[in-house]
Amino acid sequence: MSIAVAVEALSLTLGAVRLNKLDFRLGRGEILVILGPNGAGKSVTLETIAGFHRPDSGRVFLGGRDVTALPPEQRRVGFVVQNFGLFPHLTVAQNVAIARRAGRAAAGHDAGLPPHGDPEALLSYFGIAHLAHRAPAGLSAGEKQRVALARALASAPDLFLFDEPFSALDAETRDQLREELKSFLRALAIPAIFVTHDHDDALALADTVVVLRDGAIVQSGSAAEIFGKPANSFVARFVGVENILPGQVVAASDGLFTLAVGERTLRAASSANVGSPRHSILLAVRAENVTLLSSRVAAESPGAVNQLQGHVTGSRTIGPLVMVQIDCGFALKAYVLAPQWQAMKLGQEGTVLAEIAPDAIHLMSE
Amino acid sequence: MTDVTASRVAPIKGRWQARAAPSRPGTLYLLCWFCGSLLLAFLVIPLIALATHQSAQNLGEVAGIADVRDAIALSLEGAFLSAALAALAGVPLAYVLARTRFPGKGVTAALIDLPLAVPHTVAGIALLMVFGRQGVFGEPLQALVGLKFWGTLAGIVVAMLFVSAPYTVNAARIGFEAVDPRLEQIARTLGLGPWRTFLRITLPLAWHSIMTGVTLTYARSISEFGAVVILVYYPMTAPVKIYELFLRFGLEQAAAAALLLLIVSLGLFVLLRALAQRGVPASGSR
Repeated sequence: MSIAVAVEALSLTLGAVRLNKLDFRLGRGEILVILGPNGAGKSVTLETIAGFHRPDSGRVFLGGRDVTALPPEQRRVGFVVQNFGLFPHLTVAQNVAIARRAGRAAAGHDAGLPPHGDPEALLSYFGIAHLAHRAPAGLSAGEKQRVALARALASAPDLFLFDEPFSALDAETRDQLREELKSFLRALAIPAIFVTHDHDDALALADTVVVLRDGAIVQSGSAAEIFGKPANSFVARFVGVENILPGQVVAASDGLFTLAVGERTLRAASSANVGSPRHSILLAVRAENVTLLSSRVAAESPGAVNQLQGHVTGSRTIGPLVMVQIDCGFALKAYVLAPQWQAMKLGQEGTVLAEIAPDAIHLMSE
Repeated sequence: MTDVTASRVAPIKGRWQARAAPSRPGTLYLLCWFCGSLLLAFLVIPLIALATHQSAQNLGEVAGIADVRDAIALSLEGAFLSAALAALAGVPLAYVLARTRFPGKGVTAALIDLPLAVPHTVAGIALLMVFGRQGVFGEPLQALVGLKFWGTLAGIVVAMLFVSAPYTVNAARIGFEAVDPRLEQIARTLGLGPWRTFLRITLPLAWHSIMTGVTLTYARSISEFGAVVILVYYPMTAPVKIYELFLRFGLEQAAAAALLLLIVSLGLFVLLRALAQRGVPASGSR
């Protein structure tokens, strides 16, 4: 995949926000999600890439051009913000027609895409030609998203920037718009940077995830890596790992670890290099990787690994799942499908057996 | 004093509805209505008294006096120039105040409100010191370009502008602040330069507030007496003329001229407000 966008060692101090040597690259059509809590510098990063802040150091390359010194109107980025930022005093057609193709001829656009200079064709492409003369105020969120995309596309962008476009929407609409956005971005094959604090956005959209904290990249990788193997407890907490347990390495050999967690001993298979015996470490275990067994059944398999007997201390229904809280010397959370939970036979005083596969335990040094 | 301006210019959506509409009017609303009605009556009844006191004949007579007509025309002209100057200089000032941070911004904003707090005779005296014959601006301007501020329209405009410009600046500032900076950013990424962004996005969106402010400046300029009378007695603006009629001929003549000015200025005020409501030039929306 050729590099379409490169951000190199971008540093900027702006008020309380301090971006610290941000570095990332996007290939053609790639979606990069910048994930981080409020105040991590996500928006400032986007605004710097768009050209609203001059970085203290570092460079930004778009479509092979060094745009670091260019003003926003010459950078060719499509910017989509919360609630989509349509111009309220203009009709849908005027919103799209206002774009000027900075320094790019109308011809020579990518095959299969609507001509950038033709608002009608753009609206048709996004299936919203019938809205051309409507005011933005009356549009649904889905319609607004399409108008915003059509408008951004009208300026022939080399990169799309999304700044939490869904953060004011309800969960159902958000799911729907996310899917729609993803298929549009796939079809357009224009790289996109999507900023969010919602890890569902990252899971659904990202080819690559960058986790930002206090203006610095904490971890970057595929969504699977970030969510399955968070680099530290900050990332783990942020991507919603339900169980983060402090423990100690008892023995380590060939990627097999024996760990002490409270009074219990657990085995973990991990490629992580997290130190030698007696080192304090953190275990990250996603709740869906904790299997609950009816205690009577499981008591018959003495050779099993990582089976922990515990008391059920609470349960909460989340959609089709039940989040079960267990006290097995330390607090453990497990996801069980609702019907399975209802059918589960608890032992005396609500005991249950929890089982964690050794390779489902991710080890972190901090 | 900022609040006074703010509450007059900020359009309140659904202003007749209580936020959570109660099923029956509560005592609170009844009480508010009662108190409010007293104020409304207090504001309107004198104007009605002024209007009903006059016979049409009397009004016609006064309208026939060239001096009175000239005075009203001069007031309208001065107020128009004052409003235009306020818009020309005040709107840019409002934009910087709304969009930038700089040391002394708080002081600047307070300075803008200052004329609203200064008695207008005091303003007149202060202006006299600056624009009078020996004034810091008055003297060199006359010597260099022959611009005189005493006994001229220029002086009237200066006096009007001083007391009425804050309305334009404050209203425009509120209007600009209400424009989401994100919209301006988006316009920039769409290839519009800073000027084009201002003209096509920011200005149209703030237009309503700006026009409301300019209208208030215009209205305030027409009604200005204190500063004008000290800086420029002749030629007489309408309020000065009315005062003179009152002193020389008594209530009858003064009241007739007053009603005439009221009709003209109210008519213009309503017209300008209607224009402001229409809003948004150059957008071509609808």
